[in-house]
Amino acid sequence: MALLEVNHLDVHFALRKGDVHALRDINFTLERGERLGIVGESGAGKSVAAFALLNLIAKPGFIAGGEVNFEGKTLNTMSERRLRKVRGNRISMIFQDPMMTLNPVLSIGEQMIECLKAHRRITSKRARAIALDKLHQVQIPSPETRLAQYPHELSGGMRQRVIIAIALLLDPDIIIADEPTTALDVTIQAEIMALLLNLCEQHNVGLILITHDLGVVSQVTQRMLVMYAGRVIEQGPTREIINDPQHPYTQGLINALPQMATPGEQLNQIPGSMPSLDNLPSGCAFHPRCGFVERADGTTRRACIDEVPGFVTSGNCQAACHMVAEMVDDRRLKEESL
Amino acid sequence: MIAFLIKRLFHALLVMFVISVIAFAIQDNLGDPIQQMVGQSVPESERAELREELGLNDPMLTQYLRFAGNAARFDFGYSYVFNQPTTAVIARHLPATLELVAASTFLIIALSIPIGVYSAIKPRAWLTRFFMSVSIVGISIPVFLTAIVLIQIFAIGVSWSPFPADTGWGTWLNDALSTDGGMPAYGRGNPVHVFGTWDTNFASLEGLTYLVLPAISLASIMLPLFIRLIRAEMLEVLQSDYVKFARAKGISMRRVYFLHALKNTMLPVITVGGVQIGTLVAYTILTETVFQWPGMGLMFLNAIERSDIPLIVTYLMIVGLIFVITNTVVDLIYGLVNPTVKLTGKPA
Amino acid sequence: MTDSSHTSSTNTPSAGTSSASAAALPALPGRWERFRDSYLLYSFKRDVIAQLSLLVFIALVAIAAFAPWLSPMNPYDLAQIDILSSELPPFWIDGSDPAYLLGTDAQGRDMLSTILYGARVSLIIGFGAVALQAVIGVSFGLMAGYLGGRVDAFLMRLADIQLSFSTLMVAIIVGALVKAIFGSATFSTYAVPLLVVIIGLAEWPQYARTVRASVLAERSKEYVDAARVMGLRSKRIMFRHVLPNTLSPIFVISTVQIANAIISEAALSFLGLGMPETHPSLGSLIKAGFDYIQSGSWWITLIPGAVLVILVLSINLLGDWLRDVMNPRLYKG
Repeated sequence: MALLEVNHLDVHFALRKGDVHALRDINFTLERGERLGIVGESGAGKSVAAFALLNLIAKPGFIAGGEVNFEGKTLNTMSERRLRKVRGNRISMIFQDPMMTLNPVLSIGEQMIECLKAHRRITSKRARAIALDKLHQVQIPSPETRLAQYPHELSGGMRQRVIIAIALLLDPDIIIADEPTTALDVTIQAEIMALLLNLCEQHNVGLILITHDLGVVSQVTQRMLVMYAGRVIEQGPTREIINDPQHPYTQGLINALPQMATPGEQLNQIPGSMPSLDNLPSGCAFHPRCGFVERADGTTRRACIDEVPGFVTSGNCQAACHMVAEMVDDRRLKEESL
Repeated sequence: MIAFLIKRLFHALLVMFVISVIAFAIQDNLGDPIQQMVGQSVPESERAELREELGLNDPMLTQYLRFAGNAARFDFGYSYVFNQPTTAVIARHLPATLELVAASTFLIIALSIPIGVYSAIKPRAWLTRFFMSVSIVGISIPVFLTAIVLIQIFAIGVSWSPFPADTGWGTWLNDALSTDGGMPAYGRGNPVHVFGTWDTNFASLEGLTYLVLPAISLASIMLPLFIRLIRAEMLEVLQSDYVKFARAKGISMRRVYFLHALKNTMLPVITVGGVQIGTLVAYTILTETVFQWPGMGLMFLNAIERSDIPLIVTYLMIVGLIFVITNTVVDLIYGLVNPTVKLTGKPA
Repeated sequence: MTDSSHTSSTNTPSAGTSSASAAALPALPGRWERFRDSYLLYSFKRDVIAQLSLLVFIALVAIAAFAPWLSPMNPYDLAQIDILSSELPPFWIDGSDPAYLLGTDAQGRDMLSTILYGARVSLIIGFGAVALQAVIGVSFGLMAGYLGGRVDAFLMRLADIQLSFSTLMVAIIVGALVKAIFGSATFSTYAVPLLVVIIGLAEWPQYARTVRASVLAERSKEYVDAARVMGLRSKRIMFRHVLPNTLSPIFVISTVQIANAIISEAALSFLGLGMPETHPSLGSLIKAGFDYIQSGSWWITLIPGAVLVILVLSINLLGDWLRDVMNPRLYKG
């Protein structure tokens, strides 16, 4: 049994005009110490998935189906009291914008020590010592003075370090990092990412990294999933997916990277844009933008327009794509006929 | 810190200067002190002499400077009506008003914070809807009308009989909705003397009963405002990232609400609340009129009716001073509570 | 396994199609269609409270406007008053006279009539005062926001001082001064315009501040630079270009200000600094009736009070709805 198992997770938003399905049938696992990346465009549902794990989705969102299992226990049906013992303690989160994440009217020390005291019976002195130790680990200079300071007195990079320190305070099993470097200066992004990776490796902490940056994913994670319009459309080992993406959307994402373009020519784009969740196309949500709805011989793959594709295994990866399904079938037929 | 105080002091002086100019203009143009002092039968030549003696023929600027100089020493002349120094008259009436304001402020704070926080945490509860409806009705009722209604219900008594009086349950309901009244609604009763001009209503149960209806009336205007303000601010704060983060850390909801959220909520409330002090003084005038509460407001109104110019002018200056002091204190409190504001006056 | 023949982005426009579509442009929707389809109307139709408030408000305004024709008698015609029918209760209490639906006051005047006339006065002063403060406030706000510098600093200082005293206090002080200067008799004769001026002068800072904030926001937008480059004069730019974009917040605060003006007038009248008893507004009626509450004739003060509350409440509810419509940013659960 994996450390974290997500099975058939559905998240809906109850809006006036009806329920919008923000996440459909999400499945993935995370082993101890493993690093998983969740990739996709804005609005694909990555952050929603992250918050769903700890049942922190703000109303009008709610978990409509499926389960999130941590060490065999189902988190989304747990009482708030029991869930609170997991949050910050066994599973921590890092948010995107460090300025908005820290409470402006409370000191850094207060915000760190309260986290420790919420989960352990320890004295303030001991808590302070642990806090200082963690601040030291995230390489913040003069940690003693930082404890008394307020968030606005620190730079963006230092704030994010503090937040990473808070995430590590109780030696969690998993850290969920939602776009941890997006709001930071480009020059610091690499530093913070390296720090996070280092600490996770050192302490054998699992990491779920949510980002739209394929470069970071390829450097940090061992496995990844690609999300589109609320569904996972491809998952597998990061190296394999980056080198040889199966799903046309993933291919488009990788080809869109500047380093994939030919110098002097236009960058490769995926035409169109991701549909809004309340107005999804029929069948495969990507089909209006996909170049593979028409086969090489000119015939149309009806399935793309009519059916939602299920997962097809190809090597170590899985992709939700009718074209890939056809290719896998063709290959199998060829092998059987030999 | 020092720079902040100096800046505020300068601002305060500016406001006091403007008020003093207005006050002086009133004094100069509206009253004839000679008339008030000596009456009709004194011949004109003596009056002219008196005018010269009192320096009433001096140029405007000299007269103003004299006025300002005296004002700084709290000497505003004699009241026409009471024939005492105006400051003495005000000192007699000030404690009553201050006690009324103190009682109302206590009620406002004690009620608005729990109600405001509750309606933000549970926006759909029927109790919240009830409070919100009562608030908006409360804002629509002018303070003097609230006072009158309170007097009718609690002092005079109401007897309803909307339900059939010949049935047992009818009579019971009718009785439940009716009141006998009996609460005092006129004046201060017998306040207990403390020292100097300070008689207090807080020292005896009887004194407190006299304070109840006026304090509730005065609070009734500010209460809906504060409840709505706290609720609105809290709602916004509850959607912030730092509240979400606190929850993600596993902090108990009580701590999230009452430390993380409330502290941020109260900051703008302090600022807005401070501004409301000005409105409170105006409402005091109205409340004291209804209850004939012998405070500064009633004194001011009587002074207007009897054209007691020096008293009016003194009242304006004192009220101006109160505003300036309270606004400065509120700013100071805000600066101390909000860590992102350095008291040099510049935001960090 | 990658199929590299994915579609390339179609950026090159086909040159031939534009001329064909030029002739088929749909007509732009007119003002009425835009209003009909607007969010304002949509939200209004779904909000029962807003509809009820508007109904009540319009009804009260209409009744008050037609008071001379609608009221059963003229309460200020001494010939019509009968002292023997004084202090009669309203129709649902024993001892009432059907000719006087809401009872009579201490002089025998019909309450229904006095209330109709009183509401009329209150509304006239309320609307008049708001019109005046809007004119002053908007002009000052435009000047402060657009011209900046000393003008701005001076006007805003003035507004700040006035606001810190609270508008009600300013109205009381100005009212007291005006009464002292002109004397009771003149004050009573010209009470309506004087009150309009008093309340208008007391409340202009609200408008000025709102407009100034809008102007400052608009000023940094590009269309103002464009207008200036075209050579338009400041005043023209202010009124023809910037002002229309600041109308929305003006609209929103106007409802609150009307309610405030009515209450301010009632407060002034209650203190004796407003409408005299010979030509009363709702506030003066409440004041006059208060003396009789001890003797049990509560209707003389409480019924005008109820009408005042209903009037102000309907305005406040409308104002709340309007504010929600204009700023629907908060998800309130």
